[in-house]
Amino acid sequence: MKARPIAAALAVLGYVIMLVPILFVVASAFTSSSTLSFPPKGFSLQWFGKAAAYQPFTDALVSSLLLAGCATALALALGVPVALGLHRGAIPGRSLLQGLFLSPLVVPELVIGLALYQQLMIGLGQTAFAALLIGHAVLLMPYAVRVTGAALTLADPALEEAARGLGATPWRAFRTVTLPLLRPGVMSAALLGFITSFNNVPLSLLLQSRDFGTLPVTMLDYVQQSYDPVIAAMSTLILAATIIVAVVAERTVGFTRIFGGIN
Amino acid sequence: MTAAAQFIDVSRTFGDFTAVGSLNLDIPEGRITTLLGPSGCGKTTTLRMLAGYTAPSSGTIRIAGEDATRLPPEKRNLGMVFQSYALFPHMSVADNVGYGLKLRRIPAAERRSRVAEALDLVGLGHLAAQRPRKLSGGQQQRVALARAIAIRPSLLLLDEPLSNLDARLRVQMRAEIRRIQAETGLTVVLVTHDQDEALEMSDVMVLMRAGHVMQSGSPAEVFPRPANRFVAEFLGYENFVPASLSASDGATTLTVRPEHLEVVQGEAPDGARLALPATVTGIAYRGVDRHLTLSAPRGEGEDDVTLIATVRADHSRADWRPGDRVTVSARPEHVVELAD
Repeated sequence: MKARPIAAALAVLGYVIMLVPILFVVASAFTSSSTLSFPPKGFSLQWFGKAAAYQPFTDALVSSLLLAGCATALALALGVPVALGLHRGAIPGRSLLQGLFLSPLVVPELVIGLALYQQLMIGLGQTAFAALLIGHAVLLMPYAVRVTGAALTLADPALEEAARGLGATPWRAFRTVTLPLLRPGVMSAALLGFITSFNNVPLSLLLQSRDFGTLPVTMLDYVQQSYDPVIAAMSTLILAATIIVAVVAERTVGFTRIFGGIN
Repeated sequence: MTAAAQFIDVSRTFGDFTAVGSLNLDIPEGRITTLLGPSGCGKTTTLRMLAGYTAPSSGTIRIAGEDATRLPPEKRNLGMVFQSYALFPHMSVADNVGYGLKLRRIPAAERRSRVAEALDLVGLGHLAAQRPRKLSGGQQQRVALARAIAIRPSLLLLDEPLSNLDARLRVQMRAEIRRIQAETGLTVVLVTHDQDEALEMSDVMVLMRAGHVMQSGSPAEVFPRPANRFVAEFLGYENFVPASLSASDGATTLTVRPEHLEVVQGEAPDGARLALPATVTGIAYRGVDRHLTLSAPRGEGEDDVTLIATVRADHSRADWRPGDRVTVSARPEHVVELAD
């Protein structure tokens, strides 16, 4: 391959800009002093213990995981059939529908949050979890529709025809050929969706209640009150968990296969 | 000859566009029939209607004597090889070939032996465990063939099967498909835009244009006797001479292949059907051949007739030059009379 020094330098610069601030946070989590500072003074794991033992964080983590899991499942359950329908074409107003399902990317999340807050929580008296679940599912729909749609576009339309010609009913052809080919697309939509929901602040900020708060919002609350290395330790723990998930995903499906379908 | 499939007055329109217009065609059993024509001539639509992927707008399609017009593809028992091969990427070669057998609830042991048999027929028994993407284009093509043959179809349909292969492999596969047809006795319908492919592989060739059959018959019938100007042009007849330049009744145009034109200085040979005075206007050197462009006057202020002749180089005399005055002639058996 031809050496391209400018492109290589830009890539390195990009990684530096992305990674260095994260390294600062990780490093300051190991400090033995009681203030958040860099460079860390001494070495200690005490803040990790404190973060793991701090109940609002553990409660919020459980809430966040539950919410991200349910919202992702709901978004996929609705989004995959929509992607299939849009892909098969022959629907009047197809591009309008396509735009509709992508719109949550464009509409400010605070607007969605406020709307759901007014209608679901105040108007219909729903719980915070129900409102959050619906809000997050709406937010994840574009990923579910687009990423599965991209996987469908890459699949040869003759494949399903070939299955039919060999004797498969339409449902059988879908189940044995189209669905397995869709799997990497659905996996990547799920992963992207889960991460998006897990990290979301604006929607969660509006829709949480005293007994159901997500981890990012709880951490935000914490930072506003006390500025100590617990927050750096918690961030480092989340980072480690994310890396583990990424490695597992890479080993089982392969990142290139998961994200290959996006562009 | 019994018909394995029949098209009776079959039409297919897409909006205002007529892809196929009242087609009547018999597909003879145990032979290779090719549908030949330029893109947009309706050959692929015809094949897709036979396979059940495209419904006819009107007319009847019969397969093995039964009305199959409204039958879905899975009930037709036809083996189709797609242009893209359409191998299932998530299955091994053996599972691809066995897919149709599994759907037919054939017991595992018999399924395995029929998969092996089909793969041996195309010479790929050793690749059964591979994934299709690991295979070369030629090998994928063979897997697609094996998959279509394994179900013991009543017809084998091939949609431009060789167009994605390189030139050398394409010529090999022509012979290969002929061999497989001969060994299995299958009825084959092949779609192609390549006249050489059609000439080499067909028992019956069907030339199509704009949704209509322009001529059909064996290559030996069609090639020397094109029925109209379209077929003549498609098969490489490049010289079209107005019949007025030569004694003929009924015909309006005479056509001759470039390699059948004789170019001499002086008198035309005895018994020539066509003899035109002409001037050499261009010459292309093609190794043993010379590709001559000639101009023959038509007279009375009309444009000259341009002729193309492929002639062997004659080393006993000087090579042709532009401006040479010559006589262009053709023997009677090489001159085809056309009505259009």
